[in-house]
Amino acid sequence: MSIPAEKLAQYDEYVEALDLLDEESRFEYIIDIGKRAAKTPFPEDCMDDAHLMHGCMSKVWIIHGLVDGTHQFRGQSDAIIVKGLVSMMVGSFSGLSSDELADVTLDQIRGLNLGALTMQRQVGMMAMLKHMQKLSKRTDSAADISAAAE
Amino acid sequence: MNDISRTPKHHNLEAGFEVERIRQDFPILGREVHGKPLVYFDSGASAQKPRVVIDAMVEVMEDQYTNVHRGAHYLSQTLTDRYEGVRETIAKFINAGSESEIVITRNTTEAINLVAATYGRTFLSKGDGVVISAMEHHANIVPWQMLRDEIGIELKVAPIDDRGVLDLDAYADLLDQNTKFVSMTHCSNVLGTIVPAKDIVGLAHDRGIPVLLDGSQAIVHGAVDVQDLDADFYVFTGHKLYGPTAIGALYGKADLLAQMPPYQGGGDMIAKVTYEKTTYAEPPYRFEAGTPPIIEAIGLGAAIDYVSAIGMDAIQTHESALLAYGTERLGEMPDIKLFGTAPHKAAIFSFIQEGIHPFDTAAALDRAGIATRVGQHCAEPLMARLGVDGTVRASLAMYNTTAEIDVMIAALERARTLFR
Repeated sequence: MSIPAEKLAQYDEYVEALDLLDEESRFEYIIDIGKRAAKTPFPEDCMDDAHLMHGCMSKVWIIHGLVDGTHQFRGQSDAIIVKGLVSMMVGSFSGLSSDELADVTLDQIRGLNLGALTMQRQVGMMAMLKHMQKLSKRTDSAADISAAAE
Repeated sequence: MNDISRTPKHHNLEAGFEVERIRQDFPILGREVHGKPLVYFDSGASAQKPRVVIDAMVEVMEDQYTNVHRGAHYLSQTLTDRYEGVRETIAKFINAGSESEIVITRNTTEAINLVAATYGRTFLSKGDGVVISAMEHHANIVPWQMLRDEIGIELKVAPIDDRGVLDLDAYADLLDQNTKFVSMTHCSNVLGTIVPAKDIVGLAHDRGIPVLLDGSQAIVHGAVDVQDLDADFYVFTGHKLYGPTAIGALYGKADLLAQMPPYQGGGDMIAKVTYEKTTYAEPPYRFEAGTPPIIEAIGLGAAIDYVSAIGMDAIQTHESALLAYGTERLGEMPDIKLFGTAPHKAAIFSFIQEGIHPFDTAAALDRAGIATRVGQHCAEPLMARLGVDGTVRASLAMYNTTAEIDVMIAALERARTLFR
């Protein structure tokens, strides 16, 4: 199945913005997103091992919940660049149904064109997608987002 | 035998250390990264390769390649001579008593695993202590933990102070009647600390305890003389010494190697095989089962010839100047916290930029074309001792310059602006 275009509006916005920028500006753009994300509160009690995504050089926490049948994610990292990247991921792919989320492809991650910054970041983004897809299949994580919203 | 006719003796240093000419020998140093000249500060992970190493390996494959040790033909005999010549080269480089004390391995990790598995299983038993230091690479922790889990040895850790200096008194206290082996880094891959190896060996020998020194980092930064150190085992890897990957060496005193059983079974390590019984070859071949890394050995031989022609003492002098300059420049930056300030250390800078995650600092350096390493550097227990999750590590080599340190300082200043 294909994902309705309106549900990927944020993703498309990132792709278009990054496409216009040269490599150095892309780097600064991601840092800016990371700095903005740093100003959005993330529940401190969710920055624990239960929400930690393993295998990253910096720490990445992702929380997940179901709102009206769509998957909502929020992310956090202790490094600004990674905070920018995880913000882009949860911003791009929140609001999808289970089937739609399962349909997000690695090509769409490549579409963000972050590989030029370093392969490692692109690999990290792919790992984030897989982690989000895994979280979406868990029924016990649904409380996270509502708890975070309180 | 090794052809060293192409080794650039013009670098030898009556007229001073000609770093710019040395840089010309390393093709990769001419490239750019992100549109900036490459500044390679990750030699502690793996060093770049000079043209003579690349050429030696290509030449073998193009003109001389075959298997060694068994062929009844011209190519095999000449390549066997050349391969065994590398063993002699290694022996001379570290001043081993004989080339039969040099076991060719894949790397340091394999060499330590070999000693733990053969010497360890033969001579250590439940309750025996093995002393390591608080600044070991995982390669000198995990093999001993595996042996602990298998036969019940006890792992003892000699502490360091906040500068990264080994506490020799505490080390001596660990050499009690239960301690039967010491396995210690000669130079910390994270802090750059060069330990007082002769004292470490001497204190252990006073109590009849053999010592293995992990020379992965130390052998790159200065001359090593295993007889002067009186080390029982000395291990190092080729790829940090400007040679190729998948080649390293284990030096072991002849009488110890002779008492150790094989590590792996297979071809090349036997004297006679029947279905009933196999007789093993003498050292070092007993520990070299299977076809060895022939091309890589030739590459390592070329690398050793290359650094020997320049001179390890000259390399050490140049790197000491880099260390002094880098320490001074980083010290001028109020937001830089440097880990590893031992008086005797190699040109390795481990640091964090206060208020900035090491990953972000390293990413900013990368944007400036500077290759560093970030994280725990295969030394998680040391990171816990330092109280940090990770550091940025700039590890320098003989081809680095003070101008490159200036590039790093400018990039760190930019990182401060970018991330705050």
